[in-house]
Amino acid sequence: MTRMTIPIGPQHPLLKEPLSFLLSVEGERVVDSAMRIGYVHRGIERLCQQRTYIQNIHLLERVCGICSHIHTTTYCQGVEMLLGLEVPLRGLYLRTLLCELERIHSHLLWLGVLTKNIGFDTIFMYAWRDREIVLDIMEDLSGGRVSHAVNLIGGVRIDIDERQVAETGPQLYDLARQVQKLLGVIENEQTFKVRTQKVGFIPPEHVRSYCMVGPVARASGTDVDLRRDAPYAVYDRLDFNVVTHQDGDVWARTLVRMQECVESLRMCHQILDELPAGPTSVRAPRKVPAGEVVSRCEAPRGEVIYYIRSDGTERPARVKVRTPTLTSLMALHEQLRDVNIADVSVVLSGVDLCIACADR
Amino acid sequence: MDAILNSLQLAFPDDEFEPRHVPFDETFITLPANHLHAAVEILVAQFDLHHLSTITGQDTGDAIELLYHFWRGKGLTLRTALPYASLSIATVTDVIVGAAFYEREIMEMLGVTFEGHPEPKPLFLPDDWAGGEPLRKTFVPLAEPESPGKEPVE
Repeated sequence: MTRMTIPIGPQHPLLKEPLSFLLSVEGERVVDSAMRIGYVHRGIERLCQQRTYIQNIHLLERVCGICSHIHTTTYCQGVEMLLGLEVPLRGLYLRTLLCELERIHSHLLWLGVLTKNIGFDTIFMYAWRDREIVLDIMEDLSGGRVSHAVNLIGGVRIDIDERQVAETGPQLYDLARQVQKLLGVIENEQTFKVRTQKVGFIPPEHVRSYCMVGPVARASGTDVDLRRDAPYAVYDRLDFNVVTHQDGDVWARTLVRMQECVESLRMCHQILDELPAGPTSVRAPRKVPAGEVVSRCEAPRGEVIYYIRSDGTERPARVKVRTPTLTSLMALHEQLRDVNIADVSVVLSGVDLCIACADR
Repeated sequence: MDAILNSLQLAFPDDEFEPRHVPFDETFITLPANHLHAAVEILVAQFDLHHLSTITGQDTGDAIELLYHFWRGKGLTLRTALPYASLSIATVTDVIVGAAFYEREIMEMLGVTFEGHPEPKPLFLPDDWAGGEPLRKTFVPLAEPESPGKEPVE
């Protein structure tokens, strides 16, 4: 059969972000693919070296438009370690609360994108309607729906009062009910299962060889979660389960992400119940003593790693950022081999790509 | 971690690793560049330390440093320095496929050659980029285009 090459992108028909593909197809079957990223490369790592530690918080929040809080968390906890700052417990609790709310928001957003791309618009609308609940909570807490600007070096900027605690609890219960409904659809709806089961399969060997992380790894039976394995913030004080699945296809990834939402909601309740009194931040000096630190956090998409080196001035000598999407992108050509053209959209949506994150 | 260090010391008896503890459970050890590939092989084959989180490249002013950050419950970072005169090191993609993008990034950002890399092409920078290596200390950013500005209102 003749082989044809179809270019897709960089103005991508599926994603909101630029990403370019060259698909080699034989008939309806994809036999090979090549990818090009870098269309939203902003040179953030270089910019970090030219700005002060405090300015960098605002810059790094803009690495990602969805999981903005996790980037500042990873960065701030690294700089705090270099400074030897002890962050007040209340500050750490609030930081963790935002991390978990952000995870729910990211997973629901992703569920909407996936279901939209497979033509299941009803769930897309339900998922994004329910996501509004968590966005409202975050707006009430921080003033921002997506960019929260909550983290400071030495704690968090916000505090939460009794009214907010009292109102957030019932909202989270509402959301939990909705997530259960969505889970019911994912588990039982035939049309959804037909489109997602056995599609975009990632075997555990690929997770291993491509160093994949997060829900993608967990849906392929790899039991890894930094919140449990290398706890940061207050995760060592919270009771939660790490969700894994053995199937390794898009359906398994959907289940893992939605069950993670359930776990995140449980964690949010625990945080609100156990929230200790006290200050939320301590004052940090402008200059950071020389040293280096490797800071890792579990973002909604998996492990985020920051390497920060200080040379004793008020500007970092190096900030290295590696986001989870980069690992998924590396393995995409394996998933796209031998799939039907109609399934390309499912495969691409299934890994939850964030190109802006990967490009930096 | 001690077992890993012993094993590496056994493989390279002449090297001083200077193991150093860095915050968040990370151990840094230093290796000469020509031993790095063999060390990575030992980590993967003997200790199942297959998760390479990333490779950091940095220009310290004296040399280009590469940091290979491994993780399995705890972090282990292999540090190696490349002098400006010979910016070349063996690729580890034959041992860890997932190192491909990290090495490509360092190629274009710092001008290091990874020998044997299957796809030595730009990743983030444009294909026709000719502005030098952006993360080098000597890099001069392009001048920002002059803003047309607004006509003064009378």
